[in-house]
Amino acid sequence: MVAAPASDDPVRGSTLTLREVRHCFDLEGQPLPVLDRISLQVGRGEFVALLGPSGCGKSTLLRLVAGLDAPTDGSLLTEGREIESPDPSRVVVFQDPTLYPWRTVWSNVALGLEARGLLRTHRGRIEDALRLVGLTGFANAYPHQLSGGMAQRAALARALVNDPKLLILDEPLGQLDSLTRITMQGELVSLWQRAGFTALLVTHDVEEALFLAGRVIVFSQRPAHIKAEIVNARPYPRHRGDPHLAELRHQVLAHLGLDATW
Amino acid sequence: MSAVVDEVSRPQKPGFGFFARPATRSLVGGLASATAWFVAAALTAFWPDKIESDWAYTGSLAAACGALAVALALAAFASVRFTVFRRFQRLSPWLFVLALFLAAWEVVTAKLGLLPLPFFPPPQAIVEVVIDDWGRLAAGIFASARLLATGYFLGAAVGFVTGVAIGWSRLAGYWIHPVLRFIGPLPATAWLPLAFFVFPSSFSASIFLIALATGFPVTVLTWSGVAGVNSAYYDIARTLGATQRFLVLKVAIPAAMPHVFVGLFMGLGNSFAVLVVAEMLGVKAGLGWYLQWAQGWAAYANMYAALLLMAFLCSGLITLLFRLRDRLLSWQKGLVRW
Ligand SMILES: Nc1ncnc2c1ncn2[C@@H]1O[C@H](COP(=O)(O)OP(=O)(O)OP(=O)(O)O)[C@@H](O)[C@H]1O
Ligand SMILES: [Mg+2]
Repeated sequence: MVAAPASDDPVRGSTLTLREVRHCFDLEGQPLPVLDRISLQVGRGEFVALLGPSGCGKSTLLRLVAGLDAPTDGSLLTEGREIESPDPSRVVVFQDPTLYPWRTVWSNVALGLEARGLLRTHRGRIEDALRLVGLTGFANAYPHQLSGGMAQRAALARALVNDPKLLILDEPLGQLDSLTRITMQGELVSLWQRAGFTALLVTHDVEEALFLAGRVIVFSQRPAHIKAEIVNARPYPRHRGDPHLAELRHQVLAHLGLDATW
Repeated sequence: MSAVVDEVSRPQKPGFGFFARPATRSLVGGLASATAWFVAAALTAFWPDKIESDWAYTGSLAAACGALAVALALAAFASVRFTVFRRFQRLSPWLFVLALFLAAWEVVTAKLGLLPLPFFPPPQAIVEVVIDDWGRLAAGIFASARLLATGYFLGAAVGFVTGVAIGWSRLAGYWIHPVLRFIGPLPATAWLPLAFFVFPSSFSASIFLIALATGFPVTVLTWSGVAGVNSAYYDIARTLGATQRFLVLKVAIPAAMPHVFVGLFMGLGNSFAVLVVAEMLGVKAGLGWYLQWAQGWAAYANMYAALLLMAFLCSGLITLLFRLRDRLLSWQKGLVRW
């Protein structure tokens, strides 16, 4: 499978700590506060979902965790060390798949291995990842020949081949049709259980968050602060019709101010 | 897929009678153009040239036209059985018009003498030049090709590397950009007097000028290509553990390639212009020089022959570059076909 057998590395997921993280953008000379003192502790191998209104700062937070940007204030740590730059142990699946148009699906998925010089030894993983996302027949297709959902699945495969310790997912299933989405959610859970990485998932879909995550963090409007944390201790595999999940869903929607419609 | 194949594979409208069948259309088109060439051949052969003109190759021209007519007729018949020949069908209208043009040219020059000589020689005069003077023409082609290739590759390579450097490194941008802005827009030919004076030989001076003319557009477009790369491409590579080297070679450069090719095309066009001027004014070899030499001797047939050859060569080189681009950038949607 994509991940190597657990025996050669007993601790696979990494921890993540956010301490009083603040972030401001500069918008035409005006500071635009986006993140407001976010503190969060994510344990090894935990699956945490982030929910919040559009434009509140979720993607911004993920970029900080990836090490692509530095926070205005506060600190982010993984395994007790400050996050200063991107690292292949923390892989991001961006909101927009952004495949390289000049590479085939296969070589897009190979990108991480190639960048780290592991292509020769770990070639087989690419096939595995493509099979996992159901793109085996499209290995030689170019991105412009894919549908939006297929591109997103290719982007997911591109992340998975790297065997990350922390997988950062920014609405990775957003463009999939509801059937593929349900399948991919199931795949994601079993992959996470097998590989044991820590997962941080941004989603707009409350059901998805509750189906996948052990903990759901609800953000406020911009500037985002943590409004609520809902622990979801239901064992995996979960069932969509579970009345307990329905109850949690009601809670989450209440925190998002949408319970009136339920 | 090339336009030619497109034409062939496009489904034909069904059931439109006799003329709608591809085999019929191919046969009729082929025979029409064969007939036109046959007429041109007959006209050339049997209508005597104007008195007191002595065109040596009238017979050869007629024979060549006749041979082409026979070949076209054979291809037309073959296309009924073998679909390979049907791709020539697309050319039939052009071949037909070309035959008419040649016949008209032949009539107004060699047969009726309506156009003044030596400015408007008949087609057989050009055939004569190509056959009798082929040695000098071939030497000219060789000299031009050598000069052009050296200058173009040098300019393209330096321009590409400079463009990537400016696009990537702030320091390189700081120092090179002003120079480029100041000197780049100057036409390369403006350097001509200085170059012939500074460089040890007119050959090296011409190489410099051609490289300059090529280098500027290649630099600017490579630079803009590299500078315009979607920053998300870099983010993705960086989170996957890419080094700076990887970012330049595997992200920035491939992403900039469509721009680079625009620069290469502009550079090629510029290099043709500079090549001809440099040959006329300095190098004393090559097709450009042949043109000028022919004009000096009022050998207009030679000039037309050299112009024709030059057109074939320039167009061939552009086609070659398009092929290369189509091959390298096959991942792009909606490429413009040449
Ligand atoms: N590079 C930037 N410069 C200036 N402002 C930015 C920049 N990136 C994001 N923002 C602003 O920060 C805010 C949060 O953006 P972000 O992309 O994090 O939202 P989000 O929570 O991911 O929203 P969505 O759910 O719609 O993806 C937005 O108001 C956006 O305008
Ligand atoms: Mg977002």
